[in-house]
This record gives sequence, structure tokens and C-alpha cells, in this order.
Amino acid sequence: MGVRLYREPQLESPILIASWPGIGNIGIIAVDTLREMVRAEEIGEIEPWDFFYPKRVSIRHGELKSLEFPGSKFYLGKAGGKDLVFFIGEEQPAEVGKAYAEGTKAYRMANLVLDVAIKLGCRRIYTSGAAVAPIHHTVRPKVWAVPNSEELIDEVNSYENVVLMSEIDGGGGQGNITGLNGLLLGVARKRGIDAICMMGEIPIYFQDFPLPYPKASKSVLEVLSVSLGIELEMQGITAIVERSEGEIERLYESFPSEIREELDKLKYVTHTRAIDQEPITEEDKNRILEDIDKFFKRESKED
Amino acid sequence: MLSHKPPFRIYRKPELLSSSLVVGWSEDAGKLGSKVIDYLCKKLKCTEFAEIEPADFFPLAGVSVEDDVAQFPESKFYYCQQKNLVILKSSSPRYEWYRFLDSVLDVAEHYCHTTELYTIGGMVSPSAHTAPRDLFAIANSMEMKDVLSQYDLARDFDYETPTGQRPTISSYLLWLAKKRNMAASSLWVPVPFYLVSTEDPRACRKTVEFLDRRFGLGIDLAELDDEVAVQNQKIAQVRVNFPDIDNYIQRLESSLGLAHEENETLLKEIEGFLRKKD
Repeated sequence: MGVRLYREPQLESPILIASWPGIGNIGIIAVDTLREMVRAEEIGEIEPWDFFYPKRVSIRHGELKSLEFPGSKFYLGKAGGKDLVFFIGEEQPAEVGKAYAEGTKAYRMANLVLDVAIKLGCRRIYTSGAAVAPIHHTVRPKVWAVPNSEELIDEVNSYENVVLMSEIDGGGGQGNITGLNGLLLGVARKRGIDAICMMGEIPIYFQDFPLPYPKASKSVLEVLSVSLGIELEMQGITAIVERSEGEIERLYESFPSEIREELDKLKYVTHTRAIDQEPITEEDKNRILEDIDKFFKRESKED
Repeated sequence: MLSHKPPFRIYRKPELLSSSLVVGWSEDAGKLGSKVIDYLCKKLKCTEFAEIEPADFFPLAGVSVEDDVAQFPESKFYYCQQKNLVILKSSSPRYEWYRFLDSVLDVAEHYCHTTELYTIGGMVSPSAHTAPRDLFAIANSMEMKDVLSQYDLARDFDYETPTGQRPTISSYLLWLAKKRNMAASSLWVPVPFYLVSTEDPRACRKTVEFLDRRFGLGIDLAELDDEVAVQNQKIAQVRVNFPDIDNYIQRLESSLGLAHEENETLLKEIEGFLRKKD
């Protein structure tokens, strides 16, 4: 019980790119899109029994034909001469009523993923998730990057459209990455493997909606492309982003007009120290964020 | 890390050959699972012989209170030597479902030589309490389907888990039994929605009647007939006192649907009346 690898390929310094679902499915969309781009093939899986409750039963003519579990699969592809191993978890092995994995099961799953990474000789790991930020949805999302060692900071800092946690206003370089997209980073550090988590920004007002936010996935893919040193055709993800924009705009239009007026001011808010001049004052920014917070708290109570 | 020690305790080892296991879940529509199991245990004078320890499978962050009484998760095995029957009455686990169900099958296979398994379940139905109850059966193999074909069961239907829902714990158990080549079937009886949180003795009777025939138990069903009659009388009294309720039930009897508010009223009135202490 544990991992089943269908084959054990000989690889040259492969890189593992892993993701589980989270807010806006930003990480999973980015990683799955990349997996499709490089036509990666399934090479193994983590057996689901210890981690998941089944997701679907199929009964035909009164006979139970199949019981499906959420998948936790490994794939192998090649791009720009580099071997890329993917891990995609369809669900986080969370306890009942929780969205994110934690505790023993999460730790066990992270270690199983790393067992495979080590077995295949992976020299680096990328994970991806979401960064909830006070941005407007018409703005290009940045990518918050968290490495698991100091040696990686200069490299991460050199990427365009990327911010470190120390560049986020009020953060002081601190923060949390919830669930397995974060935990894998820590377990990789414990086991001596370099890892970076790339988190695409999602507007603060969309964080509680079950809405994919591929615009941020595209930002993550752009950074991954540079970091991996491979050229990626972005038409596919661009088309996904364009298709999603109508739905996002409709959701936005459903907010009361006075709230939209407040939210529109986020177009001029910067939350990182990278930009020298702020178009609105710090005081204005804090007031907007407080108003938004109050609105969504009131909305959730009204639900 | 998880303990490798089996999570069950065996108090005594039954001497059974090719036994059958009947599983009833405590949290069930119309209390069907626990009611059927309690009736079988009482009538067959079953002996408790094993239990699954709750610590790995339930939150145990306190106790729930139902009908004024503190509850605690239980997973107890009983057997009836004479009828070669094993019975499990259990709460549905909250965690580690695979390990829990695997333990159920370990006890059945290794200590009782079980070769056939049945689960019991109620399903919420928009029907009236006066409607005859059908018994639906899902088999985990063609062989089991052949066995069931000898009985008057609804057993030729298709089903896929709807989006946003999950399979039942009974389906999970059937699938695990299939992996062990153990024949298994889940039995389902529709329970009128306004009896879901109280009791449905008619659904219980339908299930016990099938098990009685299947295993040649020779069980007296008179007590269940009495319970059906008492419940019918009580609901009839509500119908006399409350014309609206009578109208709602009449419409259900004519296979007509009710509006959401009508459903709510019917459910509230009948539940309230049936819960009253005599």
C-alpha cells in the first residue's frame, strides 16, 4: 500500500511540479495545463484508500460496477530537453468538513510524493497555489514565490512579475501557505531538496467563490516557463482565461453598485513595495479594504 | 503514524462456517439499520462477540445527545450460532473509512468465515407512509444478482453518484467485499420523508421479511405488525385533527407532489406528534 509506479524511467536531473486544488484552482490549472502542453504520460499513482473517501459509484442493472476515488497521479514529460515529472492531486486528503490537508495524512502524502521525487532523482520541486491579494480582477496578477532555502532567494527575485513575501506590505516576510501546496515545501526542506511554491494572485473579493481563476494560473505558467528555462506556447491558457472572463465579469456585476465602486478603487492599490509611487494614499487603501471586509462578512451572514 | 494493531477486540470466537453477515448503520433514514438489527438480535437471541474500537474512526470530542440521552459511537458484532448469522450494528465512521471497513471484513472473514454480506439502508422518499414499501437490492457480482433473482426485489436499475454527493458507506463496503470475492448486496427501502428522523416500522418489516426468507430464520413479525398499526393509528389521528395534513398525505397517496412549505409543515407536524410521549 502506498505508491504504484508503472515504470521506473532513467531520467536526467528531472524536476517535479506538483499541485493540489485550492482557492481559484490556480495552482492545479497551471500545473495541469503545463502537463498537457508537454504531453506528459501517466507513470504512477498514490493508492487512494488510506487518504480518500470514494467520489463516485456506478451501478448498472442493479450491479455495482465501479467505485471511483480521487486521483493522485504522477506523469512524465519532456520539454526543452528537460525531464519533467508532474504530480496532480485531485483532492487534498482533508478531514471531514475541511478543505485543506493537515496532520498525519497530509504529512504521509507529502512524504510519498517526495519518495517518488527522490527515487526518480528530482533535483528541484515546484508547487503552486493561490495568493489572496487586494487586487482588482482587471489587473495582471503577480506571482508570490516562496522558496524553501535562502540560496534560492536571488534566483526567485530575478523573475519578472514575482514578489517575495518580504515585498508584501505589512507582511514582513511572514505568512502561511495552507495545505499540501505549502507542506510539500517544508517536507522537501526536511529531506534536503530545493523547492519553490508559486502562488498566483486572486482578488480578495473572489476568494470565497467556487470560481476558477485561470488568469492567475497564466501568471504562474509565465514564471514557471522562465524558471524551468523552457518556451511555452501560451495560446491555450490565454483562451481559457478569455473564456473565464465573461463569468468573472458577470459575478462582479452581481455585486451591489456601491461595493463595485469601492472595489474599483483596488485598480489603483498597490500592496507590494516594488512600485515607488502609490496612486492613492495608504489611508484610502486601508479604508477600502475594511469596507470590502465588512461587506463580505455581512454577505456571508446574510447567506 | 497509524497503528498496525488491529482496531477490533474479539471477546469470544464463534464457530461458524460459511456464515452471512448483516450490517446496519445507526444513522439511517427511519432508523432502519438499527431497528432491523435490534429486532434480529432480540428475536434470534444473538450473542455479542466483538467490537471495533472507536478511537481511530470517530471524533470523540464529546458526546452527542439524542432523545435526551447521551450517545457514543458503537460498532458491535453479534452472532447466532443456530442460524449461522453474524450481525454488525455500527455508527458510520467519520475517518479512516478504508481501515474501518477492512476491519469489518477481517472480523467477518477470519473469525466467522463469512461468504455473503448484506447491508441495510433507508432512502428518503417523497411517498406516503401508507404506500407499500419496495425493497431495492444492489449486488456486487453477477453471482449475487442470480441469488437475489429468486426474491421479489427491485434490482435492475442504473445509478451514478450525482455531482456534489458521495457514495454511501454501504457501496464502499460492497466494493471492498468484491475485492475479497465476497458476495454482497446492499438493501434499500424508501422511507417517507416525514418518517426519516423518527421510525418507519413498515420499512423495517419489509427488510426483516426478506432476511427471514433468505436465511430461513423463522422470525415472528407480529411485533412489527403491531408497530405499523400503532403508527398508522397515530398518523390517522393527526389527519382527523388537521385537515391540511390529511390533504397533504392524500396528495402524496395520489402520487402528487407537495410544495416546499407543505413538505415542511407535514414533516414538522408528523414528527412532533410521533415524538410525543404517550
